[in-house]
Amino acid sequence: MSDSSRRLHGLEFFLRSQQRPDTKASGIHARILDDVTHVNLRGNSNDAEFNRGVEKVLGQALPVEPNTVSIRESHIYWLGPDEWLVVSKAADSPGLATRLENTLRNIHSSVNDISGGQVTFTLSGENVERVLNKACTIDFDAGTFKPGHCAQSGLAKASVLIGCIEQSRTFELIVRRSFADYVARWLRHAARHHGIEFR
Amino acid sequence: MQLDRLKTGGRIDRTRPLNFRFNGKTYSGFAGDTLASALLANDVALVSRSFKLHRPRGIVGAGAEEPNAIVQVGTGASTLPNMRATQVELYDGLEARSTKGWPNLRFDLAALNDRFSKVFGAGFYYKTFMRPKAFWKYYERFIRASAGFGIAPTEPDPDSYEHRNAHCDVLVAGGGPAGLMAALVAARSGARVIIADEQNEFGGSLLSGSESIDGKPAAEWVNAVIAELRDRGNVTVLTRSTVFGYYDHNFIAVAEHCSDHKGERAADGVRERLWRVRADQVVLAQGAFERPLVFCNNDRPGVMTASAVSTYINRYGVCPGKRAVVFTNNDSAYRTALDLNNAGIPVVVVDCRKSGAGSLGATADAAGITVLRGHIVSDVIGRHRVSGIRIARWDGDTQSTFDSTIRIDCDLLAMSGGWSPAVHLHSQSGGTNAWDETRHCFVPAESAQANVSAGACNGHWSLKACLQDGIDAGAEVAARCGLRTMPVELPVTTEGTDNPMQALWRVPASKDPDRCPKQFIDYQNDTSVADVRLAAREGYRNVEHVKRYTALGFGTDQGKLGNINGMAILAECLGKTIPEVGTTTFRPVYTPVTFGLGAGENVGELFDPIRKTAIHERHQAAGSPFEVVGQWHRPWYFPQGGEDLHAAVARECLATRNSVGMMDASTLGKIDARGPDVVEFLERIYTHDVGRMKVGRCAYGIMLREDGMLMDDGVMARLGEHQYYLTTTTGGAANVLNWLETWLQTEWPELKVYLTSLTDSFSTIAVAGPKSRDVLQNAGCSIDLGKENFSFMSVQQAVLAGFPVQLFRVSFSGELAFEINIDSAYASQMWQILMESGKEFDITPYGTETMHVLRAEKGFVIVGQDTDGSVTPVDLGMNWLLSKNKDFLGKRSLSRQDCVRDDRKQLVGLLSVDGSTVVPEGTQLIEDPGAPKPVPMCGHVTSSYFSATLGHPIAMALVSAGHRRKDETIYAYLADNLVVPVTIVSPVFYDAKGARQNV
Amino acid sequence: MFLIQCPWCGNRAETEYRYGGEAGISRPKDPDALSDAEWSDYLFYRSNPRGAHKELWNHAQGCRRWFEVERDTVSYKIARSYKLADRNSESGS
Repeated sequence: MSDSSRRLHGLEFFLRSQQRPDTKASGIHARILDDVTHVNLRGNSNDAEFNRGVEKVLGQALPVEPNTVSIRESHIYWLGPDEWLVVSKAADSPGLATRLENTLRNIHSSVNDISGGQVTFTLSGENVERVLNKACTIDFDAGTFKPGHCAQSGLAKASVLIGCIEQSRTFELIVRRSFADYVARWLRHAARHHGIEFR
Repeated sequence: MQLDRLKTGGRIDRTRPLNFRFNGKTYSGFAGDTLASALLANDVALVSRSFKLHRPRGIVGAGAEEPNAIVQVGTGASTLPNMRATQVELYDGLEARSTKGWPNLRFDLAALNDRFSKVFGAGFYYKTFMRPKAFWKYYERFIRASAGFGIAPTEPDPDSYEHRNAHCDVLVAGGGPAGLMAALVAARSGARVIIADEQNEFGGSLLSGSESIDGKPAAEWVNAVIAELRDRGNVTVLTRSTVFGYYDHNFIAVAEHCSDHKGERAADGVRERLWRVRADQVVLAQGAFERPLVFCNNDRPGVMTASAVSTYINRYGVCPGKRAVVFTNNDSAYRTALDLNNAGIPVVVVDCRKSGAGSLGATADAAGITVLRGHIVSDVIGRHRVSGIRIARWDGDTQSTFDSTIRIDCDLLAMSGGWSPAVHLHSQSGGTNAWDETRHCFVPAESAQANVSAGACNGHWSLKACLQDGIDAGAEVAARCGLRTMPVELPVTTEGTDNPMQALWRVPASKDPDRCPKQFIDYQNDTSVADVRLAAREGYRNVEHVKRYTALGFGTDQGKLGNINGMAILAECLGKTIPEVGTTTFRPVYTPVTFGLGAGENVGELFDPIRKTAIHERHQAAGSPFEVVGQWHRPWYFPQGGEDLHAAVARECLATRNSVGMMDASTLGKIDARGPDVVEFLERIYTHDVGRMKVGRCAYGIMLREDGMLMDDGVMARLGEHQYYLTTTTGGAANVLNWLETWLQTEWPELKVYLTSLTDSFSTIAVAGPKSRDVLQNAGCSIDLGKENFSFMSVQQAVLAGFPVQLFRVSFSGELAFEINIDSAYASQMWQILMESGKEFDITPYGTETMHVLRAEKGFVIVGQDTDGSVTPVDLGMNWLLSKNKDFLGKRSLSRQDCVRDDRKQLVGLLSVDGSTVVPEGTQLIEDPGAPKPVPMCGHVTSSYFSATLGHPIAMALVSAGHRRKDETIYAYLADNLVVPVTIVSPVFYDAKGARQNV
Repeated sequence: MFLIQCPWCGNRAETEYRYGGEAGISRPKDPDALSDAEWSDYLFYRSNPRGAHKELWNHAQGCRRWFEVERDTVSYKIARSYKLADRNSESGS
């Protein structure tokens, strides 16, 4: 793939400008994911036909419990009673959205490929919750905020979606593209005492 | 030499001497000292001058209540003003200064104020500096210089501060006996507990006394409890952490002081940490404050609260005097007498009660201490330091005083006027207090939030009662959290019996209260009995008004010592009871906090989010300065070879009008709206006939608030039978989406419409100018861009340079133009490709400034610049956009009486008569420059630029009845009384027929 | 800072929400049939009671749903919050 047709998440410059990475044992590992597919989906989850259609394309059911994320092939986040975010690690934009849209064509629903509008971080390391709690009011207590749990909230002065995706306290942090540089800089500053490396 | 340091005792580390400087002199103390205890050890009695009268003052207390020893700690950018010396931990090299006294403490020129104190009574400033009015600017300089508690640093703060949000089942404020007990009980039940104490070690009052628990020194019990709490995984133990604010719904603010006690920057660089705690339950256990007694010259250095004297002896191994008198109206001060006696200091007890104390009285007698029962201190001798006192016999039953001439020599007077529970946090939380007639204090009554007060904070004075109250509180809050508690055994303590306290709010003097030497109520604000009496005589009845008139209860200590005495004395003056007078309102913060703590890490580049478009880095590389719009950073202009703004904008405008320009319009809000009812929905939102738009067509649309005022505008496109693509202004994106969702959810839930924000997903590049079509063709476009296939105001899907794009033929410049909507992941590449494709036409990137000029030449408004929330579409001449075929939001308001006034401000164009003056935006417009002042204003300039295309300035303005005043001349009133005549014209300055965009 | 229960997302800090004013103000069906005074009443006038107040809140940083909250304007105590669909039933919590 030539460079000019590569998808850019916008933080390439931030990553290049990263100073000597500090990798303390207790450090925080931050990854900025390339080529993630994000599809915003709206529809009525009480409509069996809608659910069947979605499951046919995604191979997994939509989570209907608030603040949960279904973790299988894709990560499907509950965003609201009629809204979900499908995050697929496969470089499948705009294919996934097109397949969903075609399948749901005759059902009142809305499918939008928003891959280019969002940036996905993964954060791991034993102090992640502590760093997030510097500027987020969500209770990340390991007893309640378990894998499969997610929350939309504020992180510093940006709106974010945070999901716990692994037993080892690995979090997915999703922000709107235009705020990603701010959030990355915020993370770098807030986690500086723990050592943070972006990849 | 630490002259007043006792040979043994105290919780200080005598193996670690520390040097420090106070007012330029070097002293030494020990690790474990506070600045106050170290100063007292060095026999420094005089630490400051009082606020108004500049009287010499010494240390009175030993904690947060200290009113006098307010110091500036440190130097340079990290210096802190307003610090209580009693709360400043000593470190090697500490540098502190008094914040009062000039040229020096012993010889303070302003002390002359005291000589003339009769004129400095309550309300002096209000009465004196009001007249003449014009003199205030001189008065203010003088007052500001002579008042205040220190200097804020002017350099940027080199320290860092952080915030931490935390959640817990139980927050315990205060780590004395009650707080520790409550935390232990709650922690054992499995609750998530946070316990915070403002001091460097836990124990509270136990640190100041010599009591034993379970047959061992109390400190051992404290250590065992803390060890258990730390061992449990469910407890966060915070020292040096002040619970300073109790906000709504159990939101608690705690200031943790991380490094100031070390005198150097902490390893992790964090100086202070703000804990923002959401607690299910709160235990308030902050103890109580000892009240001073109010007698003549009770402010002389050497007069201290009795408990403070005990603290200095027991905790710091310091005795602040060599001959002491204890003056009390209750039993607790007898402990201080015994502490003094044990330290080998001669002491006399003056007790206003004829009966004296209970079991402690017997102990004092047995120790051979002279106790003068039924006596009061009527005056204090000595100016810079107590040298003696006068006492008198007093009969509490008849309130009568006899023979006031007996003098006792002493250099230390320990006083106790009883105790006031620290109800501050309880009150901040909205709880009420009740006056307790037997204990003579306000105690917490009703809680307004989920909290429990415990220990001295709840009106319990004995150690046993405090421990038991802590156990009960811990069990109560754990139960409220749904947790089971195990029974906890009450630790064993030795208890005596106390005699009741005698209320003695104002100690009788030899002369009447208005003529006798000053009897201070509030040391920090120099408020005396005479001031409160004056306020009452002048008609003040409400305690809040008296507070503001006399300054009683203001300042760093917020009346922690003086308030109750003041209210009691006011009650006496007004002939009311204390509960009838009531207290003033307790508000956060409990003790002062720094600005840094509030700011946290939201400083520098993190102060506010910087939103960047996908093309941001390219603009930065091109050297563009950025304009902040909302939180977006948009390229402002693209200077070449040292151009200034005006030169660059002129070049960019001409290039666009004559060849082709390009701008990053990605910040526009973008919304996907679809569903079977989308037409009906948008008909109700927008003012034009949305349903008449054919698929593939674009339209300019506006939306109004229900009051008829313009809210937002933008181009919309009909992408399908049931799908629209809406654009909004940059600043309005979030609001518009919320506005649409609000109507769908709250008023029209029956409409089947889904909205999705695409603002960040798609980037927008506008290519404008006669050569724009050629640029796109050069880049390789999959569709025919000719007028027949792709007409003005239409939209098509296309592949441009290999990328799928949504192509709009719309124009905000009045030129032939295309807006390319592309997946943001490819926008940066597309920008570069278009720059390459446009090279042969000298394609010119332009910024927001040029965009503004180009649109102003065409008379296009910018919402928020040419409108301000009070402008209707009719005012803007947009009647053609208002459908007569339907209702829409705000339509009814357009026929409201106020909206049809014929003198409303309306949008017009303005031309300077001289053809050269660019009238500044915001300039007021007038009709008659010769009119007497104040000159009536008839409008204001909203947009104003120099048009390089036209060769003269252009402006837009809102002018009263402007639409029917074409060609009239009015005047722009500039700064420096400059008046410029301007002519009212149409706001469309260029290509009025719109021929250029339609080719 | 309030702690508000979103009927979907549970207890969240006030900073996540947007206030929507008094609940139960419906847009008149036929605005043109109203006098200026009647229309102004809908536009501008709110009850502003001391005590119990039904109000609209939007979980702006969360699920973006509007819901109603019954809050005491003196004590700020929140008695209950419920979905708009449940506004006529007492089942909200």
